[in-house]
Amino acid sequence: MITIQNLTKVFRTEEVETAALSGITLEIKKGDFLTIMGPSGCGKSTLLNIIGLLDSATGGSYKLLDQEMVGLKEKGRAVVRKENIGFIFQNFNLIDELSVYDNIELPLLYNNVKASDRKQKIEAIAEKLNISHRLKHFPQQLSGGQQQRVAVARALVNDPKIILADEPTGNLDSKNGNEVMELLTDLHAKGATILMVTHSDYDASFSQRTIHMKDGVIFSERLNQRNVDVFMDAK
Amino acid sequence: MIFNWFKIFIYHLKQNKLFSFLNVLGLSIGIAGVIFAILYWNNENTYDQWNPEKENVYQVLNKIGATGDIWPSSTIPFGVTCKATIPEIESICFFDSWYYEEIIKYQNQKWMGKKIIVADYDFFDAFPFPIVKGAKKDILKEKNSVAISEDEAKKIFKNEDPIGKIVINDNKSYVIKSVYKVMSPSSIEPNYVFGGLLEDGDANNWGNFNYTLMIKVRKGTSEESLLKKMQNVNFVNRTMKDAKANGQTPEEYVKENGEVKVILDPLDKARLYGTKSTAGVNFPEGKGNLQLLYIMVGLSILILILSLVNYINLATASAVKRAKEVGVRKIVGASKTQIIAQFIFETAIIVVLAILFALAIVELSLPYYNNFLRKSLTMNGSEFYLQLIFIFGLVIVLAGIFPAVYISNFETLKVLKGNFSRSKSGIWIRNSMLIFQFGIAAFFIIGALIVNSQVNYMMNKDLGFTGDQVIKIPLKSPDRNKKIQQYLTIKQELLKLSGVQDVSTFAGSFGNSTNSSSGFTYNGVFVQPRNVDMDFGFLDMMKIKIVKGRDLSPKYASDTISNWLINETLAKTLGLKNPINTIISSGWGNEKGNLKFKIVGVVKDFHITGFQNKVPPMVFISIKTLKWNNFDNIYVKVSPNNLTGTLDKLKTYWEKNINQDYPFQYEFVNKGFAKTYQEQVKQKDLFFILNLVVIIIAIFGLFALASFSMERRLKEIAIRKTLGAETDALLKDLSKQYVVFCLIGFVIGIIPAYILLQKWLEDFAFRINVSVIPFSIALISLLALTLIIVLTKAYQVTKIDILKYLKYE
Repeated sequence: MITIQNLTKVFRTEEVETAALSGITLEIKKGDFLTIMGPSGCGKSTLLNIIGLLDSATGGSYKLLDQEMVGLKEKGRAVVRKENIGFIFQNFNLIDELSVYDNIELPLLYNNVKASDRKQKIEAIAEKLNISHRLKHFPQQLSGGQQQRVAVARALVNDPKIILADEPTGNLDSKNGNEVMELLTDLHAKGATILMVTHSDYDASFSQRTIHMKDGVIFSERLNQRNVDVFMDAK
Repeated sequence: MIFNWFKIFIYHLKQNKLFSFLNVLGLSIGIAGVIFAILYWNNENTYDQWNPEKENVYQVLNKIGATGDIWPSSTIPFGVTCKATIPEIESICFFDSWYYEEIIKYQNQKWMGKKIIVADYDFFDAFPFPIVKGAKKDILKEKNSVAISEDEAKKIFKNEDPIGKIVINDNKSYVIKSVYKVMSPSSIEPNYVFGGLLEDGDANNWGNFNYTLMIKVRKGTSEESLLKKMQNVNFVNRTMKDAKANGQTPEEYVKENGEVKVILDPLDKARLYGTKSTAGVNFPEGKGNLQLLYIMVGLSILILILSLVNYINLATASAVKRAKEVGVRKIVGASKTQIIAQFIFETAIIVVLAILFALAIVELSLPYYNNFLRKSLTMNGSEFYLQLIFIFGLVIVLAGIFPAVYISNFETLKVLKGNFSRSKSGIWIRNSMLIFQFGIAAFFIIGALIVNSQVNYMMNKDLGFTGDQVIKIPLKSPDRNKKIQQYLTIKQELLKLSGVQDVSTFAGSFGNSTNSSSGFTYNGVFVQPRNVDMDFGFLDMMKIKIVKGRDLSPKYASDTISNWLINETLAKTLGLKNPINTIISSGWGNEKGNLKFKIVGVVKDFHITGFQNKVPPMVFISIKTLKWNNFDNIYVKVSPNNLTGTLDKLKTYWEKNINQDYPFQYEFVNKGFAKTYQEQVKQKDLFFILNLVVIIIAIFGLFALASFSMERRLKEIAIRKTLGAETDALLKDLSKQYVVFCLIGFVIGIIPAYILLQKWLEDFAFRINVSVIPFSIALISLLALTLIIVLTKAYQVTKIDILKYLKYE
């Protein structure tokens, strides 16, 4: 689904040139659940942003669904983005002025989904995420966990090909964090492709594969053997 | 404390250089407008206020029953009888309601005397200009006396004592009795006041409304009872006598002919609120233009409101940025009052800057403004400075209090927790103010368009005559009885000049009507047509058409005896289907009774006065028929080729053969007529300039407000972009509400625009119909402007760096 080869990203200011990514090669297949870990400033967020088409690469190749993304203009990126990618952020990024329903509806609006279909889809996803009773509320009226579930609903409502999660549990307490992680695992089990950035080993253990980054390069990659850890779950 | 406030004020000023500048500029334009209006207002309202008798002096006007015309003039016997029979009247005086220009001689000096008034009785009782030298009483008692102004006396006599000196005016000698100081502004500011106005023949003529009559009454006299008594003088001496002559009772006579009604205008209100007379001008210095004054004051207040709204809008919008500061101040112990004081303090600094700026604007553009109003206004006087301080206070209160209270009400906790920058508080007020601004802008655009199209209409309307090539040359005749002879000689001589195509005359001028009007009754219908006393060939030269019958012609002897022409309006008023050969008993008579005239032609209606008036009924006779000799211009049709050469020849001829004393003057007839609507041309220009100002201020406001509210939405825009919003969709989303505001504002602006402009148009007998076109143009241009401003800003914000706002807010 995603093939990245020798991807580089250089930030230039007048005085300094900083390489945020230097030669990343990575492949994500359909149905993968991949975690990127690493210390602050290692480039993991930059990589996620490039994959999410929020940012552009300086060099190398990034193919999404066999289509080259490097060099694509903003307009083209916007089209690919809205059709294929769902985002989940650490700070939720919900629009405070819009109700939960309206927030979830946004991606459908931008993808020109018919009004009748929209209603159906929103209700279905809200049901699935257990926020049906909150649709008329505004984000500020919800708890953090509920807000993140709204954000997940918004990310999923348009059936994206890949879900990008940037520290999805970072602003949540462990109970709510767990809920979100279980939600992602559940989605993965149903066939969703997920790419997640996190600091938490615990969160990473939910995924299939973890890559570690440092100074703009991938220096290790391992498969997670997820053991059902009774004690951990009990925590 | 103040220093701390000042520091933070300076910090924000530097942070938002553009908006601060726009803010000050907007306010200063608004204040400058009000200063302009105040200067004009002060000037118009100080007319005659110097006059200690202003409340006891009245101008007498007469409303003529038959036609409803109001004349600012009276007859001599009426004034004299009133003085003799009404004890409240202390003194009366007569003068002509215009200034003369005459050659005046002293020893071997000769100059053109300007602002000359010829008066009689106690002129200096009604206008007690301080006497600097000479007699203080009975100045004009002798017919050969003259009083001159201090400035003029200095010019003529330098250091000599002018009293007792003899000056010559119109070949008559006058003795200088007094020197007075002209008080300004005054309804009359003469350089010379000559005595001996009254001609003996007029002394007992109740029909000659030739002179301006002023009366001075005892202090505390009731205007109402005075008017009653004067009306009674009129009734006894005029109406009853006329009725007797007609063999009717006074009641029958009044019913049939109406009666002359006396109107009194107190001097202290005469300039601005005086009765509108048919002549238009009641005093030599003219009449105050109340309409223009109201327009100026009204529009300047609107502009000030607009700029205040802008200020409030910007202040509340940018207050959000100050929320954290306010929160911290409150936590460390500031009270609400202190916060309010701080923000009012900031407004005060801005207003001081704006007033200084406004004064600079006014100072720089005052010459243009004076030129526009034809005045010489200056910025001084204690009254003006008091008004300035009042404006300062008013603007601070109006502009400062609302934002200050708004800011002081921020809830500390919410503010400190952050997230306040996307607060919705105050939005509806800003939006409704924006709508209000759109309303004002729509009003101005529509107003300017309608005024403009009326002016265009007037400029392009077919006048019924062609005056492009015809010039009007004033003719002064030493002997009125020989005027026709003199005219015919000049005509012959002028026709010999190359470039002169035709020469003719009539007693009147285009734009100012004819010189006389005489009423008569025909078939029971009373009419008061204007008399066109003209030379043969006059209609032809002016390309005025004859619709029925023929023009008067030297070929027919009876054309100088008993034939006349009438215009279409008169034919219609009299209900004449076939007017030709109808014989009418005219208003003119001799000892044998009224003269009878036969209609030989009907003249197509043409405009003799401005478009405010309908075309009056007219009769046309030859100058030779009644020999009134009351024409005072010669009309010369010149060839457009080598115009300068022709004019030079005319000038040489004139100065050599006709009058050595007077400079040669001429005016093109079409330009003379254009003066009838120069007031509207001015208003059009005024509207145009104000329109620019209003649009500029409104654009500032819209841009600033759109900027603030869009910048508040940056995070939302970033999220929407992340979710796939394309630029088009975002632009639509961001500008939608402004288009709605624009439409609502437009609807609000339409109503006053329609009503006020309709009222403005009512002054014109000939006017455009208000169509939808100005409204549509205004709507389209307003929408276009809005879209340009909003889309520019929106486009700018859609180009933001998404990542920055997703991460860091």
